[in-house]
Amino acid sequence: MIAFDLALAAGILLCAVSALTRRDRTASVAAFMVLGLLVALSWVRLAAPDVALAEAAIGAGLTGALFLRAARRLGPLRPAAGRTLAVPAALVASGLGGGLAWVFASASPPAIYAPLVAASLPESGVSNPVTAVLLNFRAWDTLLEIAVLVVALLVANLLGSRRLVPVSLGEMTLPFARIVAPISILLAGHLLWQGSSAPGGAFQAGAVLAGGLLALVLAGLAPTGTLVVRGALIAGLSGLAVFLIAALGSEALTGSLLGYPNRAEKVWIVAIEAALTLSIAATLCLLFTGFEKRKTS
Amino acid sequence: MTSDLVYHVAGAGLLAIALWRLATCRDTLRRITALNVLAIGIAMVLLASGHDPATGVTNPVPQAFVLTGIVVLVAVTAALLALAERLEGSSDE
Repeated sequence: MIAFDLALAAGILLCAVSALTRRDRTASVAAFMVLGLLVALSWVRLAAPDVALAEAAIGAGLTGALFLRAARRLGPLRPAAGRTLAVPAALVASGLGGGLAWVFASASPPAIYAPLVAASLPESGVSNPVTAVLLNFRAWDTLLEIAVLVVALLVANLLGSRRLVPVSLGEMTLPFARIVAPISILLAGHLLWQGSSAPGGAFQAGAVLAGGLLALVLAGLAPTGTLVVRGALIAGLSGLAVFLIAALGSEALTGSLLGYPNRAEKVWIVAIEAALTLSIAATLCLLFTGFEKRKTS
Repeated sequence: MTSDLVYHVAGAGLLAIALWRLATCRDTLRRITALNVLAIGIAMVLLASGHDPATGVTNPVPQAFVLTGIVVLVAVTAALLALAERLEGSSDE
């Protein structure tokens, strides 16, 4: 398999160079999306399927869509003005990269966390160690991560990011959206439920659901009224609210913040994840579609 | 040579390319792309160092870190792009 790993790594580096040097914006974004998919493949090789799912759905899919939208709005790349210190910058960057590769490759893997997680896994209520870390052992981190999503949503709202106006895409979009949207809902439910025992979880499910919603938006099938956007904004903010209520509730019940009651851990985790899935889907969708209607100029 | 080493080197390579472009590029969108590539490189180094080739299992703690990082990064990217579009709009007028 070493030949496959080498080919994959070469492909990843080529895509990164292409994404960061091509002068054509669309080609650059396409290379970035291919990079995301190849990286997801390499993370399956590194036995991290949860992360690979999230990278494929969020890193390659949604970030790529955001970049395409921005590429269209920002216009073509301007020629670089002035002289840049390309050679010293390249020397410093390759020195840093080489040093980091050497340090990480020569260091022995930390042997503390993995056995600790494995030992406490039965108490967490779920059997997928990544979900256990995210929503039980380190639930604080996840709570703050949702707060970051809310802040991004509020920043985009305050800046009045322009609403996306989908161009009519032709005959095939309607059947495509009709097939993709229900499948994405089923897939999101499946990922959410199996996240407690197998690769999957709220983030992957939310990203897939957002993808289905965006297919509807781009086909012009989604309602675009102000009330709908407000409803979606409330749905986006509700994830943090539910998570905070759960944190305070567990504090009241067990005396420790996000320390779930005994033997009911799975119910708490799946309930929080379900709220997070809807909220993440609404947030990602709104970040892509924008808020304000385009001003007629 | 093990496959872990390949991914260590690939991750560090991504990091170096992204840092170089961040330092030498003036275009906003390209800089945001470089930031994303930088995050992918860091994630790959983290995951490769958490991977134990003897058992074939990857440490769940760095996996959770990287998963958190991916979600935070898409939020940051969306906020940065909204800012960039706003900047572009104000310089045109």
